[in-house]
Amino acid sequence: MEIKKYIKLWWFFARMTTKVAFQSRFGAIVFLIGKLLRFVFFLIFLILLLTKTNVIAGYSFWQVIFFFATFNLLDTIPQLLWREVYRFRTYVARGFFDYILIKPVSPLFRSLFGGSDILDFSILLISVIFLVYAAGKIDITVFGVIGYLLLLVNALLISLSFHIFVLAMGILTTEVDNAIMLYRDLTQMGRLPVDIYLEPIRGFLTFVIPVGIMMTFPPKVMMGLLSGTMLIIAFLIGISLFLFSLFFWNYAMRRYASVSS
Amino acid sequence: MRKYFLIIVNMWDEIFTYRLSFAMWRLRNVFQLLTIYFLWASLIPKQSVLFGYSQSLMLTYVIGTSFLSAVILSTRTYEIGDNINSGNLSALLLKPINYFGYWFAKDIGDKLVNISFSLVELFLLFFLLRPPLFLQTDIVPLLFFIITICLGILLYFCIGSLLGMIGFWSPEVWAPRFIFFILIGFFAGILFPLDIFPKPIFNILQLLPFPYLLFFPLKVYLGQLSMPEILKGISISVIWIFSLTYIMVLVWRKGLRMYTAYGN
Amino acid sequence: MVISVSNLSKYYTTHKKDAGLLGSIKSFIARKYETIKAVENISFTIGEGELVGFIGPNGAGKTTTLKCLSGLLYPTSGRVSVLGFTPYERNHTFLKQISLVMGQKNQLWWDLPVIESIQLQKEIYSITDEKYKKTLSELTELLEIADLLSVQVKKLSLGQRMKCELLAAIIHTPRVLFLDEPTIGLDVVMQKKLREFIKEYNKHYMATIMLTSHYMKDVEALCKRVIIINHGTLLYDGQLSDLVKKHAPYKIIKVILDKYIDPKKLAPLSEVLYFSYPELVLRVSQKNIGKVATKILDKFPVENITIEDPDIEQVIREVFTKQKR
Repeated sequence: MEIKKYIKLWWFFARMTTKVAFQSRFGAIVFLIGKLLRFVFFLIFLILLLTKTNVIAGYSFWQVIFFFATFNLLDTIPQLLWREVYRFRTYVARGFFDYILIKPVSPLFRSLFGGSDILDFSILLISVIFLVYAAGKIDITVFGVIGYLLLLVNALLISLSFHIFVLAMGILTTEVDNAIMLYRDLTQMGRLPVDIYLEPIRGFLTFVIPVGIMMTFPPKVMMGLLSGTMLIIAFLIGISLFLFSLFFWNYAMRRYASVSS
Repeated sequence: MRKYFLIIVNMWDEIFTYRLSFAMWRLRNVFQLLTIYFLWASLIPKQSVLFGYSQSLMLTYVIGTSFLSAVILSTRTYEIGDNINSGNLSALLLKPINYFGYWFAKDIGDKLVNISFSLVELFLLFFLLRPPLFLQTDIVPLLFFIITICLGILLYFCIGSLLGMIGFWSPEVWAPRFIFFILIGFFAGILFPLDIFPKPIFNILQLLPFPYLLFFPLKVYLGQLSMPEILKGISISVIWIFSLTYIMVLVWRKGLRMYTAYGN
Repeated sequence: MVISVSNLSKYYTTHKKDAGLLGSIKSFIARKYETIKAVENISFTIGEGELVGFIGPNGAGKTTTLKCLSGLLYPTSGRVSVLGFTPYERNHTFLKQISLVMGQKNQLWWDLPVIESIQLQKEIYSITDEKYKKTLSELTELLEIADLLSVQVKKLSLGQRMKCELLAAIIHTPRVLFLDEPTIGLDVVMQKKLREFIKEYNKHYMATIMLTSHYMKDVEALCKRVIIINHGTLLYDGQLSDLVKKHAPYKIIKVILDKYIDPKKLAPLSEVLYFSYPELVLRVSQKNIGKVATKILDKFPVENITIEDPDIEQVIREVFTKQKR
């Protein structure tokens, strides 16, 4: 019952946000073009690389492309769903956050999902098409696909944890903008499989800042290159991060209610 | 002259007020550097060569772009748009200060702060990573290196100011700037040196202003350009600087007329 | 009792930092913490349908108290109960029955027509279509904003915007309404209109309303009962009229004289507050008012005479100064 209400609410927020975005049509289109360009440019870079080196860390051309396509999807979905996080600093600074707290809606939900721009769906669509196309060019198994989808969900869970963490930081310090961009910078490292990095960096990127788990593991399981142990570790880390982020959020809320003035 | 100096000093104050924000910004820069550094270190292992670059040359290039970003790409010109839209421009116009001089001074201040921190970060990274740096010792490339840096600073200032002046016509100042960030990210050579492009494409790219921000100065430093090539590059960047400055002044006059007509 | 507050205290700890570089370093090494007592041991109860004014100068603790009552802040000690709920638990059933309006802080979406934000409220508060239609038409009529609903918020004047913000805040017909400086920044006409609306709303919907303001006119016009707070402590809780009787048992006589008279002749009568021919203002204690008024009319060439109650603002200011023992 509650879930239905929240989905309906999300859709309502999304419609309103999109209407606002539409008012500055020019800006909205320019942003969309920018995002597309960013994607295309890196793709060109990859193609340039692969024409000269043929193989990167043992992966074939289409496998590398598939890694990038996975990254792209995992980069697009959070920006679509949790765009509101990018606006959070102004809410806390202007006192609008109090209005969020006073409503009978979870403030975490509101701060995460309250600003989805439906126009981003176009980018999502392109990302999915590109992903499916790349997947068609490599060897996959049914088992691999199931594992892939599960790890995608796990990756989104990790991403969600980071976003919640950033929100909590925003409440405590009002420093949100650079924090969320730092998250983006870190995840960018996953545009290529983390296997290309040497140890100890690879280990660091996989387990400490779990970019590897987010971006590299799903394609690897799709290609049958991931052990069961790693799979389990991935889920454990995903769930732990999520729980920890919720804990941190609750802590931040308590601090806000004790200290805000 | 003193007032411009004060503006520069003020930047330091501002940064220290927004300590956390600035610290995170520098952290981001470090991570961006590390990302590209490790990428190329893996792509070009020791002893091998890719696209005509040895590991040492490529890593020098990467570190060079990081440092030059602080020198050339740090700017405050994005505030111009907000300045116009908020109406604060009026306050500035009343002051006995040259508008472009003001923003350029702010730029220098911002650059100085970023350069200082960049140097500290690079110093630490040298200790930790021990990159195989290529140190240019020949005085001629070094001299031209300095010249191209200065040209790069002027060039970026023009681009930044023009982007900022969009504020005269639209409240949408961030969207065009966003596109430019992306264009610069690709065409200035931050991610990779531009000459990995096939020749025909590379020749076209050389006509754009972007390569002269980071790629060209570094190529000069690395000593990989012949004198004719250096002079050709300098000429193109000078042409761009003059053209953009001319446009900048025109746009400024027109925009100012509009701004004062509406009595903002 | 709809609102019940017992021994509520709210303290903040902040750290003090000296100015300059040396201060930053000092504060980095050894922070000096300071406790600010925003609210100190206040207690009161408010019944259903009451319209209570909460007065105090800036920093008195009004906003802090309202935030404790609406669940935005945890009390440091004491108990707070609103509609039977503990506010800071932020129970959704509780939140659906209250509303908080903070003057000058907006919740309407800037670029969209007003009605979109109102519809969002409908969704958030789960208002039924029927109730929504009914309340919307009643309130828009009361507020006189029916033709503003389709206008973008950014195109509204400050007064119009405030009315629409009010609509958004009460579309779910809250049983308890907290108004924090609702008339701040508005022109005199708009202030009056808003006051009339609040009065109507209180009467019509029987909502319990707590209003903070430092405009005396708001309180005078709306609230029979006032709670006065300063430096976090409660100074007075009762009828406004009793306050005047208790703290300012006098009246003001304003006289316009026909002919000039020597001010020294007036002195024995009563305290002269102001004399600049032809105006004369006297302060007279309640019990002597009849005597003095008659005497003036008898003995002096009076063109006009009025007897007024003391200025409430002045009275309250005296209550504050009395507090500074």
